[in-house]
Amino acid sequence: MKPSLSIVFFTVSSGAGLGLLALIALVDVWPSRLLPSPAVARGIGLALGLIVAGLASSALHLARPSNAWRAFARFRSSWLSREAVFAAALIVVGLIYLALAIAAVEDALRVSVAVIACALSWTVLVCTAMIYASLKAIRQWHTHWTPLNYLLLAHWSGSVLLLGLARLFASDAAPFAWLAGGIGLTALLAKIGYWWAMNDASGLTLERAIGVREGVRPPGMTVAQARLLDVGHSHRTFLTDEFGFSLARRHATLWRVVAIALGFGLPAMWVVAPAGNGGLMFAAGLFCIMGLLAERWLFFAEARHTVRLYHGDAKT
Amino acid sequence: MTPDGSGKPLCGVITVKLGLVIDLDTCVGCHACAVACKEWNDGSPVSGPLSDYQPFGAEPSGVWFNRVRHYEVGDYPASKTINFPMSCMHCADADCVTVCPTGASYKREDGIVLVDQDKCMGCNLCAWACPYGARELDRSSGTMKKCTLCVDRINDERLPEEERQPACVLACPTHARFFGDFDDPDSQVSRLTAERGGFGLLPELGFAPVNRYLPPREPKPLTGLEDARSLLERGLASLASPLIRR
Repeated sequence: MKPSLSIVFFTVSSGAGLGLLALIALVDVWPSRLLPSPAVARGIGLALGLIVAGLASSALHLARPSNAWRAFARFRSSWLSREAVFAAALIVVGLIYLALAIAAVEDALRVSVAVIACALSWTVLVCTAMIYASLKAIRQWHTHWTPLNYLLLAHWSGSVLLLGLARLFASDAAPFAWLAGGIGLTALLAKIGYWWAMNDASGLTLERAIGVREGVRPPGMTVAQARLLDVGHSHRTFLTDEFGFSLARRHATLWRVVAIALGFGLPAMWVVAPAGNGGLMFAAGLFCIMGLLAERWLFFAEARHTVRLYHGDAKT
Repeated sequence: MTPDGSGKPLCGVITVKLGLVIDLDTCVGCHACAVACKEWNDGSPVSGPLSDYQPFGAEPSGVWFNRVRHYEVGDYPASKTINFPMSCMHCADADCVTVCPTGASYKREDGIVLVDQDKCMGCNLCAWACPYGARELDRSSGTMKKCTLCVDRINDERLPEEERQPACVLACPTHARFFGDFDDPDSQVSRLTAERGGFGLLPELGFAPVNRYLPPREPKPLTGLEDARSLLERGLASLASPLIRR
């Protein structure tokens, strides 16, 4: 799949914002007050900023954005439509939550809004992941690993940002470091698990795609290998542009190393450090997001759409 | 589901499942179907025009509903060339319709999958959902386009009845394409599918594609070939020998 930069940025930025918002809301409703209200307000503001930036970026992907408002129409069948509806609801709830936190309102209303914001964040994350996981034509996406990775990586980047807030504003940042460390380790294991699972030999073949088993083969033979003789078009088409992207194996390894080093390694060093200054905190958050951008770019670049078989790929 | 919800077919209720049969035995890969499709649908009010990008430039490209690819199956000399036209399979369980957030993609009662050009926002998700590469984004209009099964031909009563067929079917010079109703067991497409072992592409993905491909026929063994050859040789010899020996 062609790694569309608008979508790569959207899922990473909105993911970090949604993870941060969900974690902030959870911390906020925790019986003992772990974060003071000003820090909560700043966190909600940062989260909403990341979410809105991501959603704006996703609109850049549309070839006819003037029809974007119609995306709310098929809530009952389309994950993309569900994402649009829940994201719009989340922005409204998030703004109310922000106002309550700025006003430092401490009552049941704030708790209920926080709970709703958390639930909506998780819902939007699941919807985003399911847009990809529901596509049966793309083996590398149509797996349980996809929603697991999206959820964990969003919470990992969110927890790094949350730890930054805690080190600035909370009296005791240690629980936040433990939280980030736990989520980060789980997220890293899940991502490695995804890469490991994608290495298996299953998948469709060109022979399967053109029906060699059903009789599309030379007379008298029961099995035969197929290969593309001519693709039928002389220059690039929509299909080659959208699905023809290929990544060399050694480049894939390099991207994985970059994704792990930037996305996990550097932020983890800052997480386990006893205390960090402001500059380091900024760098840790930035590196984490940059690493996840590389990870998300790979998620697209390594996905092989079934139509590639008809263009001559031996297997998906 | 039938109107009374019982699941039993009601008397008088006619279900229709329109689609194509493509004969891989007789297709010669001439691309006439693809060109005829492009020509007809370019002027179609349903989803035309099919935009071209730099048609007279260095790298001409554009939107096509039907593309023909060519494969070699088996190794020479025991190999066979397969010409493989592909267009929308008008799947019974079409994911392209399910994933569409705007409702632009829809499936008609007669089984045809269409895109409402006024509603499409060009998000590409339906093209991602389709394993057959049947959908192509038109960069000029910013909307998704696809085979309409020539919906503006097949129901046009101003046309003579034999011409109420998709342009690709009418254009095929080797009669390798057939159009009809797969829900009718007596239709030509149903009979051909049954007789020739017609199959749908990649059924394991679960989209229940409607179009059927007929595999190449097994050639009938030639009987008496050796006899015929020796007869011919003896005949020629008996004719030639008086001349040669003269």
